[in-house]
Amino acid sequence: MIDAALSSSGAQVVLATSSDENHPPENIIDGRTDTFWISTGMFPQEFIIRFSNLIKVTLVTIQSYNVQSLRIDKCSSPDTTDFEKVLEKEFEQTEGQLQSEDFSLGGTRATHLRFIIKSGYDHFVSVHRVMVEGTNENHM
Amino acid sequence: MVKLRAKCILAGDATVGKSALCQLFRSDGTHFQKNYTMTTGVEVVVKSVNLPESNDSVEFFIFDSAGKDIFLDSVEKLWGQPSVLCLVFDVTSEQSFKSCAKWLERARAHTQGLQMPGVLVGNKTDLSVRRTVDTESAREWALSQGLEYFETSVKETENHEVPFRTLALAFHNIYREKLEVIQALA
Repeated sequence: MIDAALSSSGAQVVLATSSDENHPPENIIDGRTDTFWISTGMFPQEFIIRFSNLIKVTLVTIQSYNVQSLRIDKCSSPDTTDFEKVLEKEFEQTEGQLQSEDFSLGGTRATHLRFIIKSGYDHFVSVHRVMVEGTNENHM
Repeated sequence: MVKLRAKCILAGDATVGKSALCQLFRSDGTHFQKNYTMTTGVEVVVKSVNLPESNDSVEFFIFDSAGKDIFLDSVEKLWGQPSVLCLVFDVTSEQSFKSCAKWLERARAHTQGLQMPGVLVGNKTDLSVRRTVDTESAREWALSQGLEYFETSVKETENHEVPFRTLALAFHNIYREKLEVIQALA
Protein backbone atom coordinates (compact mmCIF):
# COMPACT_ATOMS: atom_id res chain seq x y z
CA MET A 1 0.00 0.00 0.00
CA ILE A 2 1.34 3.44 -0.96
CA ASP A 3 0.14 7.05 -0.81
CA ALA A 4 0.02 7.78 -4.54
CA ALA A 5 -0.84 11.46 -4.04
CA LEU A 6 2.56 12.59 -2.84
CA SER A 7 4.86 14.76 -4.91
CA SER A 8 7.72 12.70 -3.48
CA SER A 9 6.25 9.62 -5.15
CA GLY A 10 5.86 11.39 -8.50
CA ALA A 11 2.33 12.82 -8.24
CA GLN A 12 1.59 16.22 -9.77
CA VAL A 13 -1.25 18.72 -9.61
CA VAL A 14 -1.75 19.33 -13.33
CA LEU A 15 -4.63 21.81 -13.04
CA ALA A 16 -6.04 24.10 -10.37
CA THR A 17 -8.61 26.83 -10.91
CA SER A 18 -7.20 29.22 -8.31
CA SER A 19 -3.75 30.44 -7.51
CA ASP A 20 -2.35 32.46 -4.69
CA GLU A 21 1.39 32.18 -5.21
CA ASN A 22 1.88 31.88 -1.46
CA HIS A 23 -0.46 28.89 -1.33
CA PRO A 24 0.14 26.89 -4.51
CA PRO A 25 -1.76 23.71 -5.39
CA GLU A 26 1.42 21.65 -4.82
CA ASN A 27 0.71 22.11 -1.12
CA ILE A 28 -2.09 19.56 -1.48
CA ILE A 29 0.39 16.77 -2.24
CA ASP A 30 3.37 17.70 -0.05
CA GLY A 31 2.33 15.33 2.74
CA ARG A 32 1.68 18.14 5.23
CA THR A 33 -1.52 19.59 6.66
CA ASP A 34 0.00 22.90 7.76
CA THR A 35 0.39 23.96 4.11
CA PHE A 36 -2.63 24.35 1.87
CA TRP A 37 -4.11 25.49 -1.41
CA ILE A 38 -6.83 28.12 -1.13
CA SER A 39 -9.56 28.96 -3.61
CA THR A 40 -9.59 32.64 -4.57
CA GLY A 41 -13.25 33.27 -5.21
CA MET A 42 -16.41 31.90 -6.86
CA PHE A 43 -17.51 28.30 -7.42
CA PRO A 44 -17.08 25.72 -8.79
CA GLN A 45 -13.35 25.20 -8.20
CA GLU A 46 -11.34 22.16 -9.22
CA PHE A 47 -7.94 20.52 -9.22
CA ILE A 48 -6.56 17.42 -10.92
CA ILE A 49 -3.93 15.11 -9.44
CA ARG A 50 -1.89 12.98 -11.83
CA PHE A 51 -0.22 9.85 -10.45
CA SER A 52 3.09 8.52 -11.67
CA ASN A 53 1.43 5.19 -12.49
CA LEU A 54 -1.92 3.56 -12.95
CA ILE A 55 -3.13 3.12 -9.36
CA LYS A 56 -5.62 0.67 -7.96
CA VAL A 57 -7.23 3.04 -5.45
CA THR A 58 -8.70 1.76 -2.22
CA LEU A 59 -9.08 4.88 -0.08
CA VAL A 60 -9.09 8.64 -0.67
CA THR A 61 -8.78 11.03 2.28
CA ILE A 62 -9.20 14.78 1.95
CA GLN A 63 -8.44 17.35 4.63
CA SER A 64 -10.02 20.72 3.94
CA TYR A 65 -11.82 23.73 5.38
CA ASN A 66 -15.26 25.11 4.49
CA VAL A 67 -15.84 22.74 1.56
CA GLN A 68 -19.58 22.13 1.22
CA SER A 69 -20.15 19.97 -1.83
CA LEU A 70 -17.43 17.87 -3.48
CA ARG A 71 -17.43 15.63 -6.53
CA ILE A 72 -14.60 13.28 -7.43
CA ASP A 73 -14.02 12.11 -11.01
CA LYS A 74 -11.44 9.64 -12.24
CA CYS A 75 -9.61 9.02 -15.45
CA SER A 76 -7.70 5.84 -16.23
CA SER A 77 -5.92 6.83 -19.44
CA PRO A 78 -2.45 8.44 -19.56
CA ASP A 79 -3.83 11.79 -20.75
CA THR A 80 -6.53 13.85 -19.05
CA THR A 81 -9.44 12.83 -21.22
CA ASP A 82 -12.60 10.85 -20.45
CA PHE A 83 -13.20 11.59 -16.83
CA GLU A 84 -16.06 9.76 -15.21
CA LYS A 85 -17.84 10.55 -12.00
CA VAL A 86 -16.89 8.44 -8.99
CA LEU A 87 -18.83 10.04 -6.18
CA GLU A 88 -20.36 13.19 -4.77
CA LYS A 89 -20.57 14.19 -1.12
CA GLU A 90 -21.92 16.95 1.11
CA PHE A 91 -19.42 17.83 3.84
CA GLU A 92 -20.29 18.91 7.37
CA GLN A 93 -19.12 22.38 8.34
CA THR A 94 -16.43 22.43 11.02
CA GLU A 95 -15.38 25.27 13.31
CA GLY A 96 -11.82 25.63 14.51
CA GLN A 97 -10.60 22.42 12.91
CA LEU A 98 -10.12 20.92 9.47
CA GLN A 99 -12.67 18.74 7.76
CA SER A 100 -11.43 15.21 7.21
CA GLU A 101 -13.38 12.92 4.89
CA ASP A 102 -12.59 9.36 3.74
CA PHE A 103 -13.91 7.68 0.64
CA SER A 104 -13.56 3.97 -0.11
CA LEU A 105 -13.03 3.50 -3.82
CA GLY A 106 -12.94 -0.31 -3.76
CA GLY A 107 -9.91 -0.77 -6.01
CA THR A 108 -11.03 1.45 -8.88
CA ARG A 109 -8.20 2.10 -11.38
CA ALA A 110 -7.07 5.66 -12.03
CA THR A 111 -4.19 7.67 -13.45
CA HIS A 112 -5.82 10.97 -12.46
CA LEU A 113 -8.37 12.10 -9.91
CA ARG A 114 -10.31 15.31 -10.41
CA PHE A 115 -11.76 17.08 -7.36
CA ILE A 116 -14.59 19.50 -8.09
CA ILE A 117 -15.63 21.76 -5.23
CA LYS A 118 -19.14 22.74 -6.22
CA SER A 119 -19.89 24.98 -3.26
CA GLY A 120 -18.42 26.18 0.00
CA TYR A 121 -19.50 27.31 3.45
CA ASP A 122 -17.55 30.51 2.81
CA HIS A 123 -16.33 32.59 -0.14
CA PHE A 124 -12.97 30.82 0.10
CA VAL A 125 -12.14 27.19 0.89
CA SER A 126 -8.83 25.47 1.49
CA VAL A 127 -7.51 21.98 0.77
CA HIS A 128 -4.63 20.92 2.99
CA ARG A 129 -3.95 17.37 1.99
CA VAL A 130 -5.22 14.61 -0.25
CA MET A 131 -4.11 11.05 0.43
CA VAL A 132 -4.71 8.28 -2.08
CA GLU A 133 -4.07 4.82 -0.72
CA GLY A 134 -3.62 2.11 -3.29
CA THR A 135 -1.24 -0.15 -5.13
CA ASN A 136 0.76 0.37 -8.31
CA GLU A 137 -0.53 -1.36 -11.41
CA ASN A 138 2.38 -2.04 -13.73
CA HIS A 139 0.87 -1.27 -17.10
CA MET A 140 -0.70 2.07 -18.05
CA MET B 1 0.49 37.84 -5.68
CA VAL B 2 -3.09 36.69 -5.88
CA LYS B 3 -5.87 37.18 -8.37
CA LEU B 4 -9.25 36.95 -6.69
CA ARG B 5 -12.49 36.35 -8.55
CA ALA B 6 -15.68 38.01 -7.44
CA LYS B 7 -19.23 37.60 -8.64
CA CYS B 8 -20.77 41.07 -8.62
CA ILE B 9 -24.53 41.44 -8.84
CA LEU B 10 -25.38 44.71 -10.59
CA ALA B 11 -29.03 45.54 -9.89
CA GLY B 12 -31.58 48.33 -9.79
CA ASP B 13 -34.63 49.54 -11.72
CA ALA B 14 -34.70 49.65 -15.51
CA THR B 15 -33.12 52.69 -17.24
CA VAL B 16 -31.07 53.90 -14.26
CA GLY B 17 -27.85 53.25 -16.23
CA LYS B 18 -26.57 49.90 -14.95
CA SER B 19 -25.38 48.66 -18.35
CA ALA B 20 -23.96 52.07 -19.23
CA LEU B 21 -22.01 52.13 -15.96
CA CYS B 22 -20.79 48.61 -16.54
CA GLN B 23 -19.68 49.27 -20.13
CA LEU B 24 -17.94 52.48 -19.14
CA PHE B 25 -16.08 50.61 -16.38
CA ARG B 26 -15.14 47.79 -18.75
CA SER B 27 -13.80 50.20 -21.35
CA ASP B 28 -11.77 52.21 -18.78
CA GLY B 29 -13.95 55.25 -19.36
CA THR B 30 -13.78 55.30 -23.13
CA HIS B 31 -17.17 53.93 -24.10
CA PHE B 32 -20.45 55.64 -23.22
CA GLN B 33 -23.39 53.96 -24.89
CA LYS B 34 -25.61 56.75 -26.15
CA ASN B 35 -28.46 54.56 -27.30
CA TYR B 36 -30.58 52.63 -24.86
CA THR B 37 -30.78 48.86 -25.23
CA MET B 38 -32.87 47.11 -22.64
CA THR B 39 -31.09 44.23 -20.90
CA THR B 40 -33.47 41.28 -21.01
CA GLY B 41 -31.72 38.79 -18.78
CA VAL B 42 -28.23 38.88 -17.38
CA GLU B 43 -25.20 40.04 -19.29
CA VAL B 44 -21.91 38.94 -17.77
CA VAL B 45 -19.06 41.43 -18.08
CA VAL B 46 -15.54 40.50 -16.98
CA LYS B 47 -13.15 43.18 -15.78
CA SER B 48 -10.08 43.20 -13.52
CA VAL B 49 -9.15 45.80 -10.96
CA ASN B 50 -5.59 46.13 -9.63
CA LEU B 51 -5.39 46.79 -5.93
CA PRO B 52 -3.18 49.62 -4.70
CA GLU B 53 0.08 48.89 -2.86
CA SER B 54 0.20 45.24 -3.88
CA ASN B 55 0.40 43.07 -6.97
CA ASP B 56 -3.01 41.63 -6.12
CA SER B 57 -6.05 42.05 -8.31
CA VAL B 58 -9.73 41.25 -8.33
CA GLU B 59 -11.36 39.94 -11.49
CA PHE B 60 -15.03 40.88 -11.46
CA PHE B 61 -17.69 38.80 -13.13
CA ILE B 62 -20.34 41.49 -13.24
CA PHE B 63 -23.86 40.09 -13.57
CA ASP B 64 -25.52 43.08 -15.24
CA SER B 65 -29.14 42.21 -14.49
CA ALA B 66 -32.32 43.34 -16.19
CA GLY B 67 -34.30 45.85 -14.13
CA LYS B 68 -37.73 45.03 -15.52
CA ASP B 69 -39.85 42.85 -13.25
CA ILE B 70 -40.90 40.49 -16.04
CA PHE B 71 -37.29 39.20 -16.24
CA LEU B 72 -36.95 38.77 -12.49
CA ASP B 73 -37.38 34.99 -12.34
CA SER B 74 -34.73 34.25 -14.95
CA VAL B 75 -32.39 36.88 -13.52
CA GLU B 76 -32.57 35.58 -9.95
CA LYS B 77 -31.75 32.04 -11.10
CA LEU B 78 -28.25 33.33 -11.90
CA TRP B 79 -27.68 35.14 -8.62
CA GLY B 80 -26.47 32.17 -6.53
CA GLN B 81 -23.44 32.59 -4.26
CA PRO B 82 -22.74 36.28 -4.95
CA SER B 83 -19.51 37.89 -3.72
CA VAL B 84 -20.41 41.58 -3.86
CA LEU B 85 -23.34 43.84 -4.78
CA CYS B 86 -23.61 47.06 -6.77
CA LEU B 87 -27.04 48.73 -6.51
CA VAL B 88 -27.79 51.60 -8.89
CA PHE B 89 -30.54 54.23 -8.94
CA ASP B 90 -31.22 57.39 -10.93
CA VAL B 91 -30.98 60.60 -8.87
CA THR B 92 -33.84 62.08 -10.96
CA SER B 93 -36.19 59.21 -10.07
CA GLU B 94 -37.49 58.90 -6.52
CA GLN B 95 -39.09 55.59 -7.48
CA SER B 96 -35.77 54.05 -8.57
CA PHE B 97 -34.27 55.04 -5.20
CA LYS B 98 -37.17 53.50 -3.26
CA SER B 99 -36.81 50.28 -5.26
CA CYS B 100 -33.27 49.79 -3.95
CA ALA B 101 -34.62 48.32 -0.68
CA LYS B 102 -36.42 45.67 -2.71
CA TRP B 103 -33.36 44.93 -4.88
CA LEU B 104 -31.17 44.68 -1.79
CA GLU B 105 -33.55 42.21 -0.16
CA ARG B 106 -33.64 40.08 -3.32
CA ALA B 107 -29.86 39.96 -3.57
CA ARG B 108 -29.41 39.16 0.12
CA ALA B 109 -31.75 36.19 -0.24
CA HIS B 110 -28.96 34.49 -2.25
CA THR B 111 -26.01 34.96 0.12
CA GLN B 112 -26.60 31.87 2.28
CA GLY B 113 -25.53 33.83 5.32
CA LEU B 114 -22.17 34.95 3.88
CA GLN B 115 -20.90 38.52 3.92
CA MET B 116 -21.68 40.45 0.74
CA PRO B 117 -19.98 43.87 0.60
CA GLY B 118 -22.18 46.34 -1.25
CA VAL B 119 -22.26 49.82 -2.73
CA LEU B 120 -25.13 52.13 -3.64
CA VAL B 121 -24.61 54.27 -6.72
CA GLY B 122 -26.69 57.35 -7.52
CA ASN B 123 -26.28 57.91 -11.26
CA LYS B 124 -27.13 60.75 -13.68
CA THR B 125 -25.82 63.58 -11.47
CA ASP B 126 -25.35 65.63 -14.68
CA LEU B 127 -29.15 66.13 -14.73
CA SER B 128 -28.97 68.46 -11.72
CA VAL B 129 -32.08 70.45 -12.65
CA ARG B 130 -34.27 67.34 -12.60
CA ARG B 131 -32.71 65.86 -9.50
CA THR B 132 -35.23 64.60 -6.90
CA VAL B 133 -33.10 62.43 -4.58
CA ASP B 134 -30.64 64.42 -2.49
CA THR B 135 -27.20 63.16 -1.53
CA GLU B 136 -27.86 63.14 2.20
CA SER B 137 -30.96 60.96 2.21
CA ALA B 138 -29.33 58.50 -0.19
CA ARG B 139 -26.18 58.32 1.91
CA GLU B 140 -28.18 57.94 5.10
CA TRP B 141 -30.18 55.01 3.75
CA ALA B 142 -27.03 53.38 2.31
CA LEU B 143 -25.23 53.59 5.65
CA SER B 144 -28.24 52.16 7.49
CA GLN B 145 -27.97 49.14 5.18
CA GLY B 146 -24.20 48.76 5.50
CA LEU B 147 -23.57 50.01 1.95
CA GLU B 148 -21.10 52.65 0.84
CA TYR B 149 -22.59 55.48 -1.19
CA PHE B 150 -21.23 57.00 -4.39
CA GLU B 151 -22.55 59.37 -7.03
CA THR B 152 -21.70 59.08 -10.68
CA SER B 153 -22.43 60.63 -13.99
CA VAL B 154 -21.79 57.93 -16.52
CA LYS B 155 -22.52 60.44 -19.26
CA GLU B 156 -19.80 62.77 -18.01
CA THR B 157 -17.47 59.82 -17.25
CA GLU B 158 -17.38 60.81 -13.60
CA ASN B 159 -16.56 58.52 -10.71
CA HIS B 160 -17.46 55.29 -12.50
CA GLU B 161 -14.46 53.33 -11.16
CA VAL B 162 -14.68 54.17 -7.47
CA PRO B 163 -17.63 51.89 -6.61
CA PHE B 164 -15.87 48.88 -8.14
CA ARG B 165 -12.53 49.73 -6.51
CA THR B 166 -14.30 49.91 -3.17
CA LEU B 167 -15.89 46.51 -3.73
CA ALA B 168 -12.55 45.03 -4.80
CA LEU B 169 -10.88 46.27 -1.62
CA ALA B 170 -13.69 44.97 0.58
CA PHE B 171 -13.55 41.53 -1.05
CA HIS B 172 -9.78 41.45 -0.75
CA ASN B 173 -10.10 42.26 2.96
CA ILE B 174 -12.46 39.33 3.43
CA TYR B 175 -9.91 37.12 1.67
CA ARG B 176 -7.13 38.23 4.00
CA GLU B 177 -9.30 37.66 7.07
CA LYS B 178 -10.25 34.15 5.95
CA LEU B 179 -6.65 33.36 5.10
CA GLU B 180 -5.63 34.28 8.65
CA VAL B 181 -8.30 32.00 10.09
CA ILE B 182 -7.10 29.11 7.93
CA GLN B 183 -3.43 29.75 8.74
CA ALA B 184 -4.26 29.69 12.45
CA LEU B 185 -5.89 26.26 11.99
CA ALA B 186 -3.02 24.68 10.14
